[in-house]
Parts: sequence; structure tokens; C-alpha cells
Amino acid sequence: MSFLSISGVTKSFGANMVVKGFDLSVDRGEFVSFLGPSGCGKTTVLRMVAGFEQPTSGRIVVDGKEITHLAPNKRNIGMVFQAYALFPNMTVFGNVAFGLKIAGMQKPDIETRVTEMLKLIGLEQLADRYPYQMSGGQQQRVALARALAPKPQVLLLDEPLSALDAKIRVSLREEIRDIQKKLGITTIFVTHDQEEALSISDRLVVMHAGVADQIGTPFEVYNRPATQFVANFVGTLNTFPVTVEDPAGGRVSMNGITFALAEAIPAPRGASITLAVRPESVQFGAVPGCDVVLPATIEQVHFQGSVIRLRAKAGSLNLSLDTFNRPDSPPPAVGSTSPISLSAKELIILSV
Amino acid sequence: MPLTAKTPGVRAVRRSGLWNWLGVLPFLLFAAMFLVAPTLYLFIGAFQNTTGAFTLDNIFALAGKDIADAYSLSIRLSLVSAGLGAITGLLLACAIVLGGLPKWLRPAFLTFSGVASNFAGIPLAFAFIATIGPLGIVTVLLRNLLGFNLSSTGFNLFSFTGLAVTYLYFQLPLMVLIITPALDGLKKEWNEAALILGATNMQYWRMVALPVLAPTILGCFLLLFANAFGTLATIYALTSSRFSVVPIVLFQQIRGNVLYNPNLGYALALGMVVITGLSNVIYLVLRARTEKWQK
Amino acid sequence: MKKGFPLVSTIIVIISALFFLVPLYATFQFSLQALRGQLSFEAYNVVFADPRFLSTVSFSIIASAAAIVLGSIVVVPTAYWVRLKLPKFRPVIEFITLLPLIVPPIVLVFGYIRLYGSNSMLPLLNDDLGTNLLLVIGYVVLSLPYMYRSIDNGLSVIDIATLTEAAEILGASRLRTIWEVIFPNVRSAIVSGAFLTFSISFGEFVLASLLDRDAFGPYLVLIGEDLAYEPAALATMSFALTWGMMILMQLFASRKPGQRLLSRKSPPTAIAPAQKAAA
Repeated sequence: MSFLSISGVTKSFGANMVVKGFDLSVDRGEFVSFLGPSGCGKTTVLRMVAGFEQPTSGRIVVDGKEITHLAPNKRNIGMVFQAYALFPNMTVFGNVAFGLKIAGMQKPDIETRVTEMLKLIGLEQLADRYPYQMSGGQQQRVALARALAPKPQVLLLDEPLSALDAKIRVSLREEIRDIQKKLGITTIFVTHDQEEALSISDRLVVMHAGVADQIGTPFEVYNRPATQFVANFVGTLNTFPVTVEDPAGGRVSMNGITFALAEAIPAPRGASITLAVRPESVQFGAVPGCDVVLPATIEQVHFQGSVIRLRAKAGSLNLSLDTFNRPDSPPPAVGSTSPISLSAKELIILSV
Repeated sequence: MPLTAKTPGVRAVRRSGLWNWLGVLPFLLFAAMFLVAPTLYLFIGAFQNTTGAFTLDNIFALAGKDIADAYSLSIRLSLVSAGLGAITGLLLACAIVLGGLPKWLRPAFLTFSGVASNFAGIPLAFAFIATIGPLGIVTVLLRNLLGFNLSSTGFNLFSFTGLAVTYLYFQLPLMVLIITPALDGLKKEWNEAALILGATNMQYWRMVALPVLAPTILGCFLLLFANAFGTLATIYALTSSRFSVVPIVLFQQIRGNVLYNPNLGYALALGMVVITGLSNVIYLVLRARTEKWQK
Repeated sequence: MKKGFPLVSTIIVIISALFFLVPLYATFQFSLQALRGQLSFEAYNVVFADPRFLSTVSFSIIASAAAIVLGSIVVVPTAYWVRLKLPKFRPVIEFITLLPLIVPPIVLVFGYIRLYGSNSMLPLLNDDLGTNLLLVIGYVVLSLPYMYRSIDNGLSVIDIATLTEAAEILGASRLRTIWEVIFPNVRSAIVSGAFLTFSISFGEFVLASLLDRDAFGPYLVLIGEDLAYEPAALATMSFALTWGMMILMQLFASRKPGQRLLSRKSPPTAIAPAQKAAA
């Protein structure tokens, strides 16, 4: 049952169409991320749900009620901004209590609710602090508590972690996800960081030039990208050209080696198509069971901790491959040769 | 080799330490002679009588009828002028920054304000005489076109109200110039956050924007107050010595051929500086506090 | 949430614009009404024909120019030195330069009269030269906050530490550095400060009147007491002058160091001495 539905929404600023026909159904309690580069329209859609922008056409419905043209202060929606936007003249307590005060809640009830929220984010001891006395991470947590205090129907987060340090970004995104699960609140999370989106969402919407290129679970989007843009934007991708041998049987050839893809190829025999493969699908060494084994020279070794990313040159191909760190065997030396293997079933047809 | 005073290079550093202070000596001397000393001389003199002995008589004389009246008049005029300037300046600044008007209006008004705040003085007085004086263009226009007689309302350019209106011409721009950056500092996200939490625009202004702006508004009010308090040329050109504000009284004391009691004059000057000084100090304190907030 | 027509803002802006512009226009029109029933520049003719007009204007121009020169000499080396050598002392110097804003001019001149009058250690007021000097010094003090701020801002934009080191390595003495390297680069800031000094000094009344100088300020008041239309003419000219100054100041303020107002074929002179020294 759809709790939040965005249908046929477009937005133009003058002659510039920023959002071109956006459709999305979000279930109650679901966590959906909008992922895309700057200017793709993700923040614009979010702001239309919040009410700060008016759609040029289309409808937005929450819990059966149409809110498309409703003023932002009447929608009962919570929002967390990239720049925290805490009111500087109020303490943490005052900030979190703001929505409740506006709603006319009585003082003792406000007290209870605010304390409850501060406990949720783990900052009860900072209730009397002012925003300028706190770190970015703390301020953003207070902003979250402030947004959630009036029990909104939907929670919107506009790139909430972009202004924070890398370490805090990771811990805070998990905290946000935990709180969201605990409260069961329908959430939309806008980000340009694909790792963020993949790790905490129930579903992702990958947006590109005003259009939703793909909507799906992180697993789906990552492993079966629907468009070239999605394949390139989400995760790293190796791409290389091959020649079609047998379109129906999915056979292609490259550098004299022939192998069969998992599906038929929508291109004629002899045509050149682009294939893609994820780094983790390329394996180091001659691994049994892989039908494509290529001799390669290791050109670069990037030790990233638990993962070692290698750049290898196999004939005319430059491939990135990932292996796990193993304490007993050091990474291969630059310039050494080694076979690399991959399974043809894991190859993705990128473009024809 | 241990570092001693004889080690080459050490002596050079030591000498340059003293050398540094010599560089600002001319300036300090200039400031001492022509800024600090004259003011201090007056201050000390305020606490002396004609023979040089210490006394508080002059300070008490400030409470005497004529002088107390002058201070009261000055303070009242300055308060009204500052209040008027603060409110109108805030309204105009809000209109050009947040009012949804064409973008070019803002630099136009800011540039004009930059110039107009320098217009204070005699030409300004002449301008207002030519505008709303007894024979002023606007006065005549109102009479001929609308049959409206300005003086029948009791308005007189050479009175308290007239002066307040004239002062507005340089107070208003000053307020606009100072408050505009503060309005820029009002983050759009605060407004949006307030709205999404259910507030109306009025509530946002009452609970967030005005409290945030309050120190700047108050500071600016004090600045305008001090500005009005110290004005002399404008009021002299309009009312000669008939309007007995403190600067005029002091002016007459100094100008007057007979300076009965120079020490009284010193006390007057001391009073002026205390008032303007206090206003400016509080303004600076408020400004420092706001800057701490705006992180 | 589309906003409707900004009615309130528009009304406020229109009323403010009227408040600002009507007096300017009225002054101009009033100044043209010297002859009954017709518009003429008669009032202006009277003003220009008055020998006192010329003498007071020239006096004030000279006094203002002297204030600009003296002000630059006092402020520029100090601002440079403080930035270079005594950065911790900068707030103190800044505070001193802000003091003139607290001390009203009348108090200042009162202090001068008592301190440098006929029976003091430095009797400047005993003769014309001394008194004129004191007047100019007074103007420098009054414009100190603006002059210092303008030049300090100009210095903050150029990296004086590096420029100084470069000049020193090339063999220049400190004084030569200030004159040939620093001064040209803060030229536009100095010009900016100069215009502000000029507008403060030119029509200044309090100091000139109490020091009994034949300056433009007291002349204005005199005219205002006796005549009707001539003051309006003088006011109009004064406003036009202020406007002109401000426009010129904006033009100069937007110049980068070394950039010329009118483009020339030869390179800016600031670089030339350094090139010569390196040759």
C-alpha cells in the first residue's frame, strides 16, 4: 500500500525543465534514497514534497490526502537540511521543542517529548547548549531530533551528511537508519554519495538529468543497472569492447578468445558492443570455473585496507580488480604477471 | 655551540624587537598629541576649578537647570531620531533584501545610502529649508495643489519635529547600510526549517529572525543615537543657537567672548564624550557577540 | 508557494525613494527661483561673483588637500608597519583609529584651543600658520578612522610580507620599499581614503568656525543667515560635488593594484623599479 506517491511530477524554471516526469510510490516505513550527481533534480523533487517548490504538473499524495499545493507549514512533514539550520538564538532544547510549541503543546508535554528525543539521539546532556557550541555531527543530530519531535508523517533529508567529516558520515548514517527503523517513519534521503545510498536504503532512485533512470533495491541497481548512466554512476565499472559472433547464443569474441554471455545480444554478427564487469567479478589468478582467463601484467596496486584494488593490463584491456586482504599473502608486485579470470555470466551489456 | 648574546644573529634579533616599536612611534605621538591629550586635558579639567584644585563642582553644575535642560533635549532628540531611523531603516532594508523586488534596487539603494550618510551638515539643512521650510517647494506644492497648509498642523522645520525629520536623511541610510549585511546573514534555511515545523512567517520573524537580529538592531540604534547626539553643523545651520542642545551650548561657551568658567565647559564636553563613548562601546560589545553566534 | 505581488515592499521603496529624491530636486528647483516668476541661474551668478566664495573655496580645497597628504603620511607607513612587524598590536592601533568616532569634533577642537592656545607649551594658535596647521591636523584626526580602514583593507589584499622580502633581497632600504613598492600598490586605497577625507574636510564647520578660519563651512552658514536662494544653489553644488567624489571613489576602489584608470601602452610603474633593480 503506497503511503507517499509522487505521480507525473515535472518542474520547469522558465524554459529549463529540471524534473521531467517523475513517478514513485513509497510504502509506509520505507527508506528510499534519491541518488544522482549535482543538478539531476533530486533536491528539487524533495523540495516539492516539502512544499518549497510547486510542481509544474503532477500530484503528490501522502496517506491518501493530496498535498501538491498545500503550504509547507501544513503538511506535517519533517525535514533535515544540509546546513543543519538550527536556530542560533535557541538552545538544543529550544530547537527541538520548536515544532511542539508551534503546535500548541503544553509545557510539561513538551518537556517529556523533547527529553525523549534527546535520549534517542544520545545528547541529553547538551540540552542547554547553543548551536555554535557544538560540532557539525552534534548539530545534525539535533536537527534530526527537531524534525522528528512533532511526529511527522514523512521525513525528508537533503544531503544531511555532505557537510560532515568522513568518519562521522559513516557513523551518523547508520544512526539515522537505526532511528528510522525504530520509529518506522517513511523517509526520503537525498545524496550524491552512492556508497551512502547503497548501504542504508530499502530502495534507491538513481536520477539523471531530471529523470529517474532506475528504481530498485541496492542489490538490483548495483548488479543489474538499467542504463549506462546507472552502471557508471553506481560503483566502479570496467568497460571493454568485444565483437559479436553469435547474437542468438550470446557469443562474443575478444583478443581471439570466445565466450558466451548470459543473454542474447541485440546486435548483428560482426558488430562491436561494449561490455562491463564489476571489479569484484574479476579474480586474481587462474580460478577454476571461470571460462575467461587472460594473462595480465599488474600495473597498479592500491592497498585500501580490507580491499586491495589492482589495475591490470591484459592485452589491450585495462581492468580494475578487487581482492581481499589476506595477512599471510602480501599484494602482488607492480610489474609482475599473473592470469586474471572472470565468469562470462557476470558480464553486463552496456551499449550496442 | 651554545647560544649566547655574542652569537652572531642573536643581537640582530634583539635589536629588531625594539626597532619594531619605533616604527609606530610617529603615529602614537601624533595620536597622543592631537587626539588623546586634548581629550584628557578636558577630562581632567572637568574635575578642577579655576585654581587647579580638585573639585566635583562642575559635575554638579551639569545638573543645573539650563544645562540639564540641554542634556534632556539632546537625549530626547537623539532617542527620537535614532528610533525613527532604526525602524524606517529596518523596513527599507527588509524591503530591498527580502521583499521580492527587482535585484537592481538593492545596489541602487545601498550606493545612495553610502552617499547620503555623508550629506549631514549645512547643505542638508539648506536642502530641507528649500523643501519643507516656510517657502519650501513641497510646502508651496501642498498649499497650491491640495490646499493643505503645512504650518497649520503645527509643523515647523525649525522645531523638534523638523529637526528629527531632517536628521532622518542621514540616519536612515546609515541604518540601511549596517543592517543589510545582517539581513543577508539570515539563512534561508532557518525560514524553511521554521515553516516545515509548522510556523507561519509571522511566527518565524517573532521567534527566530528578530531575536537573531536584535543585537544588531540595538547596536545600530546606539550608533544612530551617538550620531545624532554629536551633530552640530546641521542644527546650527537650521536654528542658529536658538535650539539649545548640548553641542550648541558648548559651542556658545567656546565661542562666547566671555568664558566664565572654562571648567564648566570641560564638564559639558566630558558629559558628551561619556554619552557617545558609552553608546559606541555597547555597540561594539553587541557586535562582537553577534559575530560569535554567526558561526 | 508562489509569492503574490510584493505590495508592501513596493510601497516602502517608493516612499523611501521619494524621501531621498524630493529634497534633492526641491533644492535644485528652489535655487533657480531667485528671479521672480522665472527660472534662472541668477542665484549661482551671485554666488560666483562673490569674492568670499572663491577665497573660502580655495582655502578649503588647500586645507583638504593638505589633510589628505598629511593623513597618508601618517597612516600608510603605520598601517604597513603594524601589519608587517606588530600583528598582535593591530587591534590596539585599530582601536586608536576608532577613537575619533567617539570624540565629537566640538570636544576635539575645544581641547585644541585650550591645549595649544596662547599660554601653552606649544602655542600653535598664536599665528595664522600654526592655526591653519592645527586645522589640517584636526581634519586628519576626523578622517583617521576612514583613512586607516581604507588603507588597511587595501593592504590586506596584497601580500606585503612577501613584497617586502622581495624588495629587501633586491637591496632596497625599508623607506625605499615603502615609497616604491608599497605606496603604488595601495594607491587605489589611498585615493579612496582621500575622497572620504575630502568630503569630511571640505564643508566642515565646527573646527573651522571655532578656530576662526576663513573656510567654506563658515561661509555657508553666513550665506544661510542672510540670503534665501543662494544657500540652495550652494547646497546643490555641494551635493553634486559629493556625488562626483563618490563615483570617482567607486571607480578607483575597483581598480586592482597597478591597474590604470585609463589604459596605457607602458606597463604599470610599480613593476618598473623592481625590474630595473634586477637588471
